[in-house]
Amino acid sequence: MLSFIARRFLTMIPLLLGISVLVFILMAIAPGDFLDVARTQEDIPAEYIERMEEEFALGEPWHTRYFIWLGNVVQGNLGESWIYRVPVTELLWQRIPATLVLSALSIMFALCVAIPMGVLAAIYKDSIFDRVSSMFAYAALSIPEFFLALLAVMFAAQTGWFPTGGLSSVEHEFMSFWGRMADYAHHLVLPTIVLGMGSVASYMRIMRANFLDYIRSDFVTTARAKGVAEGRVMFVHVLRNAINPLVSASGFILATLLSGSILVENVMNYPGLGQLIFEALMRQDEFVVVAAVMMGCVMLMLGNLIADLLLAWSDPRIRLEKN
Amino acid sequence: MLLKVISYPYLAHLFTAFFLIFFLVSCKGDIPPLEREEHDLPQDAEVSSTEPGNYGGVLVTAESQQPRTFNPLVAEDAYSSEAIGRFLNGLTTYHPIKEKVVPELARSWEISKDKRTITMELRRGVRWSDGEPFTADDVIFTFKALFDQRYPNRYMGQYTIAGEPIEFEKLDRYTVRFTTARPYSPFLYVIGFIGILPRHVHLEAYEQGELLQQWSVRTAMHSPEEFVGTGPFRVRSFRPGQRIVYEPNPHYWRVDSQGQRLPYVDYLITRYVQDRNTETVLFASGQIDIASITPGDVVGVRKNAPLHDYTVHHRGPATGIRFLWFNQKPGESEAGKPFVEPHKLEWFTSRKFRQAILHGLDREGLIQSVYFGRAELLHSIISPANERWHNPDVPRYPYDPDRALELLREEGFELDGNGDLVDSKGNQVSFQVYASEGDDITPQILSTFRENMRDLGIRVRIRYLDFGTLVARVSRHFEYEGAMMGFTGGADPSGGRAIYLSSGRLHLWNPEQEEPQTDWEARIDELVYASEETFDLEERVGYVHQMQEVFSEELPLLYLVTPHAYVGLKDRWENVRIPAMGSVIWNIDELYLGQEK
Amino acid sequence: MLKHLFKEITRRPMGVACLAILAFLYLGTIFSQFLAPYLPTDQDLANAYHPPTRIVLEDWRPHVQVYEQVDPAAARYEPVEGETAPVNFFTAGEQYRFWGLVPAEMRLFQVEEPHRIYLLGSDGTGRDVFSRLLYGAQVSLSIGFIGICITMTLGFLVGGVAGYFGGKTDFLAMRLVEFIIAVPSLYLLIALRGALAEHFEPEQMYLVIVIILSLIGWAGAARIIRGMALSLRQRPFVLAAEVMGQSSLRILFRHFLPNLASYLLVAATLSIPAYILAEAALSFLGLGIQEPGTSWGLMLQQAQELKVFTLNMWWLLTPGAAIFITVITFNMLGDVLRDIVDPRQQIVKR
Repeated sequence: MLSFIARRFLTMIPLLLGISVLVFILMAIAPGDFLDVARTQEDIPAEYIERMEEEFALGEPWHTRYFIWLGNVVQGNLGESWIYRVPVTELLWQRIPATLVLSALSIMFALCVAIPMGVLAAIYKDSIFDRVSSMFAYAALSIPEFFLALLAVMFAAQTGWFPTGGLSSVEHEFMSFWGRMADYAHHLVLPTIVLGMGSVASYMRIMRANFLDYIRSDFVTTARAKGVAEGRVMFVHVLRNAINPLVSASGFILATLLSGSILVENVMNYPGLGQLIFEALMRQDEFVVVAAVMMGCVMLMLGNLIADLLLAWSDPRIRLEKN
Repeated sequence: MLLKVISYPYLAHLFTAFFLIFFLVSCKGDIPPLEREEHDLPQDAEVSSTEPGNYGGVLVTAESQQPRTFNPLVAEDAYSSEAIGRFLNGLTTYHPIKEKVVPELARSWEISKDKRTITMELRRGVRWSDGEPFTADDVIFTFKALFDQRYPNRYMGQYTIAGEPIEFEKLDRYTVRFTTARPYSPFLYVIGFIGILPRHVHLEAYEQGELLQQWSVRTAMHSPEEFVGTGPFRVRSFRPGQRIVYEPNPHYWRVDSQGQRLPYVDYLITRYVQDRNTETVLFASGQIDIASITPGDVVGVRKNAPLHDYTVHHRGPATGIRFLWFNQKPGESEAGKPFVEPHKLEWFTSRKFRQAILHGLDREGLIQSVYFGRAELLHSIISPANERWHNPDVPRYPYDPDRALELLREEGFELDGNGDLVDSKGNQVSFQVYASEGDDITPQILSTFRENMRDLGIRVRIRYLDFGTLVARVSRHFEYEGAMMGFTGGADPSGGRAIYLSSGRLHLWNPEQEEPQTDWEARIDELVYASEETFDLEERVGYVHQMQEVFSEELPLLYLVTPHAYVGLKDRWENVRIPAMGSVIWNIDELYLGQEK
Repeated sequence: MLKHLFKEITRRPMGVACLAILAFLYLGTIFSQFLAPYLPTDQDLANAYHPPTRIVLEDWRPHVQVYEQVDPAAARYEPVEGETAPVNFFTAGEQYRFWGLVPAEMRLFQVEEPHRIYLLGSDGTGRDVFSRLLYGAQVSLSIGFIGICITMTLGFLVGGVAGYFGGKTDFLAMRLVEFIIAVPSLYLLIALRGALAEHFEPEQMYLVIVIILSLIGWAGAARIIRGMALSLRQRPFVLAAEVMGQSSLRILFRHFLPNLASYLLVAATLSIPAYILAEAALSFLGLGIQEPGTSWGLMLQQAQELKVFTLNMWWLLTPGAAIFITVITFNMLGDVLRDIVDPRQQIVKR
């Protein structure tokens, strides 16, 4: 296991480096440098500009700049946001957990909905339930995320049952610990549903297909012959095996979620990484854009790694196959 | 473990989870009431004339932009100024109901016979929010700092009358005397603009040349207790991009008739929302107490009123102005590039061209569509909401594309074979307009403008910028052709002198001129000075009316539309007195939460 | 091969339905200038937020009901009793350029000025939503198509070459592919857009979007194709061709391509929805197609107002339905194709 993780990290590093080069080049293509817009803001003191220029060697040719920037990044200095006047690391620290929580909850929500639906669809194959749930899966997959988010916000506004956005209400800092948790939960309901919808379809189809595969296998016949209750056969034996691809799909789904969360966060005013990167891009807060894109990639890679680890842990065959 | 959870009994777990969430949500609980510190009242405490109320409650407002700074010498925009105004006071302030200047930190004043000297008596016994006594030293310090060449700021120009900075001296612990180079009638109004700074907090930074770095957004985030002021509130916490929380200043110098120290509210919270639409949605779902509502949203928002107990009040025409303008600044940037291409500069500096463009814009149509009929054409640089100063008899420019073409032809423009407009030298007429994003109306106005201009054969390109970037571009880089922006309206026109005067920083089309470049700008300068020198109100009004005539004739700013202003406010707030102009919660320290109805 | 596919698709009712819907959509797109009574920029400030106009039959001809604005404050329009305007078919209107090339004037249906025919109502400045939907379709549907063509070509070239030559080429190509896949797509889209947009005019955003979508999309296709190329490589006919001395390029195109074509088709069909959604998302965020252009995503961004919901202006949300229908159709068609071509589901959706 450890060697597996170690090897994965080793492959991750060149990937990360490559991404940093890519992002850096992208920023270089955009006209102006990191501090262009900051220079125009009256309330940003000249010393700040000078300090940033020095720290990141903005006057140098781009290859020199890249290595200095890289050196800074490794030391944890990702620059500063001129909009918020705080180091980028502080901003990321605030925002990343929000996006991670939302993504994780979305996956869990999608699993909770998709697994029973997929299983039941497989068991009652070709029934009305199967067809209807299949249509539902298509629909969930096809509706544009931002549109769903828009509908959700308006729904919240008209009914008043849920907050229309944000992650915490104004009373948040006055609440007790449990009050705060409840406040977060209340705010997370709609974004989770919106973000999770798309994944429901993918999970459901995989679940159904795999479940069908396993239903026909030998050990099921054996179990039935042994007199195991049908329910237990389905939900314990078959499910255990059919679930594995779902776990690996989760890594892939995480990628979609991270991307999609920009839209949901934007429409629903959710203070996560997606909203940060969007605002930074619009207002040309370059340091933040670069750092946020890199963070997105890191999160994705970690997500994939975790998915693979989960897979390895839950399925002994894979552990053996790895070598 | 993982697998046991994902088996069908999990459905029961899922339901339990949801119930738990809702249960917890209902236990969110209210904000605990604030424990207030007890302090002696100052000798010159001001007693409020409104009905006494009770402590408690949280007032939640929303803003689309957050403050860029909390330092009054650095603040350039309305949002930062508003935030600063919560915890700092000026010497005087404008009472929007009485419509006159009333005492704030200065309790009374005397004007000399030659009208050039104003002696102000300060309020005695007032303490800063950290307990230190407020004295004339603070006033002197504030003025010394704002005139200090090391710290360029907008007040330097504002307080320079006839080329001379206002003189100030301390007479005793609670008396300050100001002297102006010539009689200046708006003095009392204007002197209240600057928030008085605490000398004991800033002295060191001032002497070391770091005054402008003080009280930044950083300070607000990490140590807001450094914001020491005499205003009704102090900053409790600031989270960038999310909200700012104010709590009452325990040393505030206003009380109600029962001797209770104001403000009544336990907390004032301002949420930062991305755009106007989100703000409206928040208000319509009862999550904020007050919001301005665009004419188009009024009907929809009123529908939800019974659900959340609020009322949408009609306030009459809005007080701000919104306009398009063309860059008329000659010269080049440091890099040697002219601010405006020479042939385009010729167009923009032609009065008939500007008049034609305004004739070519279907503002009446905009009122009917985008504003849902709840607006009127704006004809003057001062909004009709300001009844005392607005001049209704200025030249008007109704939608008249034929007249527009006529005017253009008089200037040598012609339509060529393709239907494009070309100038006398054969250049095709096209220009770019910058605007800031953030509301739904701006893009609609500009797309209409683009279509209307197309009918005249003019190609217009619209580009949207972030607000701060737009301000920088038009006020510091000057690299633009046309732009759209707005100004908030003040009660007294002297607040707009930076716009009217050719030397003004906000004289957008060609700011900070050393000498007036055109006759009409020289005329405007004359009229502004004349209006400031006389203390006779009727005379002043006369000069200001004439100034508006020149503006509407020369049209350096192409006025758009004055929408009707609507504000939504939750009914539970008492002591609300909605003025004709200005903020609805101008008397925020007197507002209290009425009993549930 | 295509004939065979077509036959198989039409055997399935779902396939027929999908093809029919797509044909309908794309025909509408191709002929949008003819079908739309107005240009997407035609404003009519007196008729802002107008509800869809009812069509009535009079004298066996369709007539459009005339409305009047009863309450401008609430954008309420009431039909005027008895007043209708005839709908004229195949009449000349304002000139347009069919496909940007051929000047033409004929439109399928129109109504004489000053009356208006709003099949799907009008937006905030009185522009016909139906016309804008049609013109928007041109952008939204073609971007997917063109993007996919570029992507599949690139993917085939890189993946095919990598699979065929193997060794170092394969290694490098696959690392590059993995690299691109490792970035969350919308993040990369946004970053690319930020980098490139300054160099283009707002009207050329269409090009920018196509470029960046293709730059990201080809990686997934390349990976799949490479996998298939690897297995194809060992097939006897390929080895025979090599022995016969055919050049690599020839082998690629004459032998690989036909065998991969059906898989390519499936992958393409399944990927188009992603492109359509990506363009809609970008335009919705204000980063894609901008005024004066029009696209479904942009129309939705302009409908993102509270009053659209409180005043029940549902017609402004029809672009959302349009996107939904298009995407779901492609998804279903893709599944049908996959059933036919690859029943064991080796192709993973991108």
